[in-house]
Amino acid sequence: MTSPIFEQVRTIASDLFTVPTDRITGDSSAETIETWDSIQHLNLVLALEEKFGFQLSTDEIEQMQTIGQIAALVERKLQTAS
Amino acid sequence: MPITIQPYRVEHEPAVAAFNRRLAAAGADDNLVFFTRSTPRWLPKTEESAVYNEFFVALDGEMVRGGYALKTQNFLLPDGSTRSIGYYHHVLSEGIVNKAHAATGGLLLRDAMLRSPLLYCLGMGGYDNPLPKMLIGLGWSHCPVPFYFRIVHPSRFLREMQTLRTSSARRLLMNLAAATGSGWAAWKTYQAIRSLKSPRIAPSTMQVVGGFGDDVDTLWLQARSAYSFTAVRDAYTLRLFYPATDPHFTRLTVNRGGNLLGWAVVGERRKDAKYGSMRVGSILDCWALPGEEPAVVRSATEVLEQQGFDLILSNQSHQFWRRAFENSGYLSAESNFIFAASKNLSKLLNPFDETKLRMHFTRADGDGLPRNF
Repeated sequence: MTSPIFEQVRTIASDLFTVPTDRITGDSSAETIETWDSIQHLNLVLALEEKFGFQLSTDEIEQMQTIGQIAALVERKLQTAS
Repeated sequence: MPITIQPYRVEHEPAVAAFNRRLAAAGADDNLVFFTRSTPRWLPKTEESAVYNEFFVALDGEMVRGGYALKTQNFLLPDGSTRSIGYYHHVLSEGIVNKAHAATGGLLLRDAMLRSPLLYCLGMGGYDNPLPKMLIGLGWSHCPVPFYFRIVHPSRFLREMQTLRTSSARRLLMNLAAATGSGWAAWKTYQAIRSLKSPRIAPSTMQVVGGFGDDVDTLWLQARSAYSFTAVRDAYTLRLFYPATDPHFTRLTVNRGGNLLGWAVVGERRKDAKYGSMRVGSILDCWALPGEEPAVVRSATEVLEQQGFDLILSNQSHQFWRRAFENSGYLSAESNFIFAASKNLSKLLNPFDETKLRMHFTRADGDGLPRNF
């Protein structure tokens, strides 16, 4: 996955988790990124909402397990909004 | 089931009771109990109320996994405007006893931030606890609200202050100081030196009042320019917080030449093991014309001393009040009473390092529980 949305999500995650962008893949998750804890997960939610201008439901937040899933979720949210 | 966060309603009460039982069964602290009734006893929301409490619960199907309270109140901001601000308190998540629900705490906080983007937290028991750690991780502005104490009866303090009596050697020394009167002599000497160094306080008269009159509105308007950030302390709010019918509080006004200089609210704190059998009083809330804070602190202290308290406590953030307490013989100690402001609120408080010097937070800005006075 290398869509522009994926790249933007990866950049946000890289900044928040202080991990180089090239080490973040679609399969990256809290299991593989040590700094991805519950606080940073909430920070990621807030950063995505601010960047893309939508609001995530608690259901959607719980589904955000990997960077790939998150990018796909953002794509769906933006398509629904447009 | 996905978590949904909803206003706490009567039909959720059995699930909240079950939630409380699960926390207790898992060994959670006795104080960690969510409200058993869905309607707040303190500051319930009405059509007319500008200050009110609301409760919310995190639902996992039929189960409650957590909850929080949100107090909404008008605050004066650094730009001189008055806006409604939310106070996030009494947060409880099943995540504290079951890691499967670790995400609930974050969902509760986010829900509160959506409902009230201008949000603050207060107290929290110190920086070591999970909530302040989470808030700092989210980039909230924060600072401790300084803690002050005044020892009225040194001998009882030495015998009863459990947090200082931590070893047999310390207990022996403190008992010795109490028995010989050397502790009393040292404390009185310190106070005498302190009072010599402090600026003189012009004479004033103090009056214990049953309820606050309309003159506190004038005082609020006269003094507020000295404060960068404070909850509105007008007559409406004071009557709501400290109703004449509530016996827990003593309300006092300080006057000179018939003019109101300030007011304070004092009361007794609930028994706490760390204070042994001491009677602990609190200067809960206060307000004064700039420069008249020492007169109010002196009067409030006198009232509590007359009421027989052994120890008097207060938390104060504003530099004028801090100086007044320090000059009135109060000592400061590490504070576990933490203020934190959401990012949206912090934008209005910039630069926070300057704003925090003139913001006014006391125990009165907390959750209203008598144990926290």
